[in-house]
Amino acid sequence: MSETLRDIEELTEASYEYGFSTDLDTDIAPPGLNEDVVRLISAKKNEPEWLLAWRLKAFEAWQAMEEPDWAKLQIAPIDYQAISYWAAPRKKPVLDSMDDVDPEIREMFDKLGIPLHEQKMLSNVAIDAVVDSVSVTTTFKKTLAEAGVIFCSFSEAVQEYPDLVREHLGSVVPVRDNYFAALNSAVFSDGSFCYIPKGVRCPMELSTYFRINSENTGQFERTLIVADDDSHVSYLEGCTAPQRDENQLHAAVVELVAKDRSEIKYSTVQNWYPGDENGVGGIYNFVTKRGRAHTDAKISWTQVETGSAITWKYPSVILQGDRSVGEFYSVALSSKHQQADTGTKMVHIGADTTSSIISKGISAGHGQNTYRGLVKVLRSGVNARNYTQCDSLLLGKECGAHTIPYIEVKNPSAQIEHEASTSTIGEDQLYYCRQRGMTEEDAMSMIVNGFCREVFNELPMEFAVEAQRLLSVSLEGSVG
Amino acid sequence: MLHVENLTAAIGQTKILKGLNLDVGAGEVHAIMGPNGSGKSTFAHTIAGRDGYEITGTVTLDGADLLGMEPEDRAAAGVFMGFQYPVEIPGVNNMYFLRTALNSVRRSRGDTEISAREFLKVAKDAMDLVEMKQDFLDRAVNAGFSGGEKKRNEILQMAIMQPRLAVLDETDSGLDIDALRIIAGGVNALRGPERSMIVITHYQRLLDYIKPDFVHVLVDGRIVESGDHTLALHLEDHGYADFLNHGLDDAPEQPLTGVRS
Amino acid sequence: MTIDSPTRTGSDLSPAARRSVAERLDVIGYPTKRHEAWRYAPHRTLGALSFGPPVDIAAALPELDAKMPTIEGPRIVVVNGLVDTERSDLTCPDGLRLSSLADVSAEQPERVAHHFDIADDEIDDAYLALSIAFGDDGAVVRVADDVTLDVPIHVVDVAVPDPTRNASCTGVVIHLGARSSATVIETRLGVTDEFGGSNVRTTITLDEGATLEHVVLQDAPDTQVHLSRIDVTQAAESTFNARSFNLGAAFGRCAYNVVLAGAGATADLSGLFFGVGEQVLDQQINVVHAAPDCTSRQTFRGVLDDRSTGVFNGGIDVRPGADGTDAEQSNDNLLLSNYAEVNTQPRLEILADEVACKHGATVGQLDETALYYMRTRGLRADEARRLLINGFADQAIDDVGIEPVRAWITHRLGHDDV
Repeated sequence: MSETLRDIEELTEASYEYGFSTDLDTDIAPPGLNEDVVRLISAKKNEPEWLLAWRLKAFEAWQAMEEPDWAKLQIAPIDYQAISYWAAPRKKPVLDSMDDVDPEIREMFDKLGIPLHEQKMLSNVAIDAVVDSVSVTTTFKKTLAEAGVIFCSFSEAVQEYPDLVREHLGSVVPVRDNYFAALNSAVFSDGSFCYIPKGVRCPMELSTYFRINSENTGQFERTLIVADDDSHVSYLEGCTAPQRDENQLHAAVVELVAKDRSEIKYSTVQNWYPGDENGVGGIYNFVTKRGRAHTDAKISWTQVETGSAITWKYPSVILQGDRSVGEFYSVALSSKHQQADTGTKMVHIGADTTSSIISKGISAGHGQNTYRGLVKVLRSGVNARNYTQCDSLLLGKECGAHTIPYIEVKNPSAQIEHEASTSTIGEDQLYYCRQRGMTEEDAMSMIVNGFCREVFNELPMEFAVEAQRLLSVSLEGSVG
Repeated sequence: MLHVENLTAAIGQTKILKGLNLDVGAGEVHAIMGPNGSGKSTFAHTIAGRDGYEITGTVTLDGADLLGMEPEDRAAAGVFMGFQYPVEIPGVNNMYFLRTALNSVRRSRGDTEISAREFLKVAKDAMDLVEMKQDFLDRAVNAGFSGGEKKRNEILQMAIMQPRLAVLDETDSGLDIDALRIIAGGVNALRGPERSMIVITHYQRLLDYIKPDFVHVLVDGRIVESGDHTLALHLEDHGYADFLNHGLDDAPEQPLTGVRS
Repeated sequence: MTIDSPTRTGSDLSPAARRSVAERLDVIGYPTKRHEAWRYAPHRTLGALSFGPPVDIAAALPELDAKMPTIEGPRIVVVNGLVDTERSDLTCPDGLRLSSLADVSAEQPERVAHHFDIADDEIDDAYLALSIAFGDDGAVVRVADDVTLDVPIHVVDVAVPDPTRNASCTGVVIHLGARSSATVIETRLGVTDEFGGSNVRTTITLDEGATLEHVVLQDAPDTQVHLSRIDVTQAAESTFNARSFNLGAAFGRCAYNVVLAGAGATADLSGLFFGVGEQVLDQQINVVHAAPDCTSRQTFRGVLDDRSTGVFNGGIDVRPGADGTDAEQSNDNLLLSNYAEVNTQPRLEILADEVACKHGATVGQLDETALYYMRTRGLRADEARRLLINGFADQAIDDVGIEPVRAWITHRLGHDDV
């Protein structure tokens, strides 16, 4: 046993593969937050008056709000005045031709394994790349345009499609929703915008890759996806950050609007820098993600969370329309000194709504993993159905797994089922695999991947492969 | 090929094997029989390398010291163990598991890895051997398998791994007669001049199907009697009573050299 | 909420137990919706309670005798926070001592010191502070080592709101010696239809190898509040079987804090909460695995009709080093009305790695197919409904080992009416 334990500890101390910092010429605002900074951001982006007013309203709300108290998280206080709220690569983003992308940025994405060159691209994936806070390039624009799909940076959408943005921005996550959503609403710099017209099935996967590069910057991106009636889109989001001693704040907001009979599938592979073995550095990932599903619409969240020092996020679905469907599939890994407090909220408002939640938490090292979820059935949620399954896997003696579901039901016709289990990798499983010739490391990796199978199955193929590899890297000493 | 000398195994204060000696030559099939608690499974696990035993003595395979090796290195050296209770691994696809296992062993032997296509062919032959359907490979390893399916899966794995020494621990337990016939057929097909087998069983029944070259009786951690397959028949008629009653300290402890019957 | 100054009446408690409730209350305050354990409580109703020192109610309480379950054996009745010697029967078999808490506090304060001497930082709850301040009297049960009692011990708490203050506090201290075995039934009742309530706190200590079957029958009037807190400390190889029936009260709260402190201990908690009208019935369960190889089970069932609300907040807390933990928890609920509500929160907090923990929760309504099936066999719709509800509730009632208690519950739930 002790031997196995030691091996597990060794295996889980793999270092961070993406810890390089690219020397981009960056346009960065001085640290600090006040109304002038909000105005500066808005001015830099040449925003219309209504958007500035919206930001200022959010800023005012934020100032009056209290930072949440962290139930299960050990967190050093955040000095919001020490953060720079604006950082952009100085060279003007060029959006039309890949060849014009800053070679340093291109090189950086190559290192991340995100091929921006169209010829190297994974088939059928359009990518919007966001470095620090600014969207630097969007690929496959023309193909998408032919289908009528709008996929561009948020800033561009504000300029080009102001009505669409104005109608939906803040419609799912209001500015006062929570402390970090308010902060994001005040200072967000860029992000992705996506609109799928009525009846259109998006011809390819859409993808955004986020990267925090500059020191002492927060990243506050904003994503808005609107799927009009009878449309369908699959959206992928990937995240990395360089290795730094300071904690960096990432407070994004993602809003999904799924109109009647539409479907949005949103997949995330999050691999922000988790901090070192001693818990120094790493990203604070405080993200608000929520979708509103109208009649017969479906929203599906899939996430693989292996990075960040602290993760605090609850991708949620408001099941507003009758027969709407919400899904949440999650793998969260906490090793080293990582803390993850993640889960979902499913709010059943419409009749005959269905939600399912599959959560797999893995704790290793000194990691603390909390599933926190809410399933709420309102009086109007006739025949609501929910199935929740939360499984935790503990690898080692110093880690913890917590499952905290809230189930609130106000309609007698609702059927709610919650199941959870906590276990460890069986000695007998490891022995069995080793008797068949696998190393302990391979056996662990295989068993952990098997544990996550139901979630990986929900990811698009390319992402599933990436997710499996990330999990193995995070658990093994194979890359150093 | 396999040489076991004065092997002891204990868990804490409890001695389970008390000086076991055995030699298995290339191509030989040895049956080890004994009552419950006599140390049969422990013997299998000391060869395969399970943690948790305090072991003294010698176990070598083709001259190489097995006791110093990790379980996976023993597997690479050609040891295969058929588990009495095959372990369930939820979410891990059977085919993926088998291919990873086979390639791990090939890699450590310096062989090239086998491609998915080649593997499928190997697996198909092996599956025919144990009369299994294709969908078997797509299911998670042993998860939700019936007792018979689990045991067939063990033999399937043996057919794929092509071991030098197979130790089959109570492969017949919990099987009906059809399953027993299929498994024995698989085992017999895998017999060969370069492959040795140790078949551990409580009942003589299995030995009607897999005819051993030698039969050993294990009682209280020692081999108390050895002979040819007729010894198994004797046990069926008389049980283990003769051996249980006999002065154990007088039991033969010389290494038994195999002479074909 | 109003509070009298916490000066004592009656017997004198140890000075250590004398703490200023006002001072501690100032620090912790009354629970609000922001306190996880009080998230769904009716705070306005709670705020209308007024606590003070126990007051002797000499009045005859004829309705009380009809409400009390008839159980043969030793009995102690506490009315409004003071032992009612008339209604009590303290004759005990060998090996059992049943006494008033006030008497034990006066004569052998060390036997109940642990009930009162609670460090400031462990007073996490205003009602615990109030209980320490005002819960002078109540019951003390002591079973000697190696004694197996075959008669159950009955502890009855009765709230009688009076004009000076409407809420009382009662203390119950139960201590089972090594390898002993006993059954304690705690019945909680109220008389009059006035608003008020009682705050009963039970401290249970089980020595090595002891086995306690502990039943709570909560049936206060639906104009009253009943707050129950049961703190259990278990030594190695001890067994605690808790059966709670949370049936009465406008707000009926049944909270267990069980600490499995010795290796190989077992805690098996089960219960039923059955709400009608506008009742809020709240179960707060926390089982702490602080030692290796302990087993715990939580099996709670809720039936909510009319405009009632059910709450289940159950926690399994596995501390570092509690390897070999085997813990399971389940909460199944039946909603019978469009206006009933249930909030369930089955929590797992695991800090050891050699564990097997499972929990589950379900919410549903009566099975339409089963109702239909029964009706095709000739049952009236309401009979069929009744039978299904009873069948659901019976799975909690079956866990009770004592026949008169089972009979009282099934009678109370109207099973006989079908």
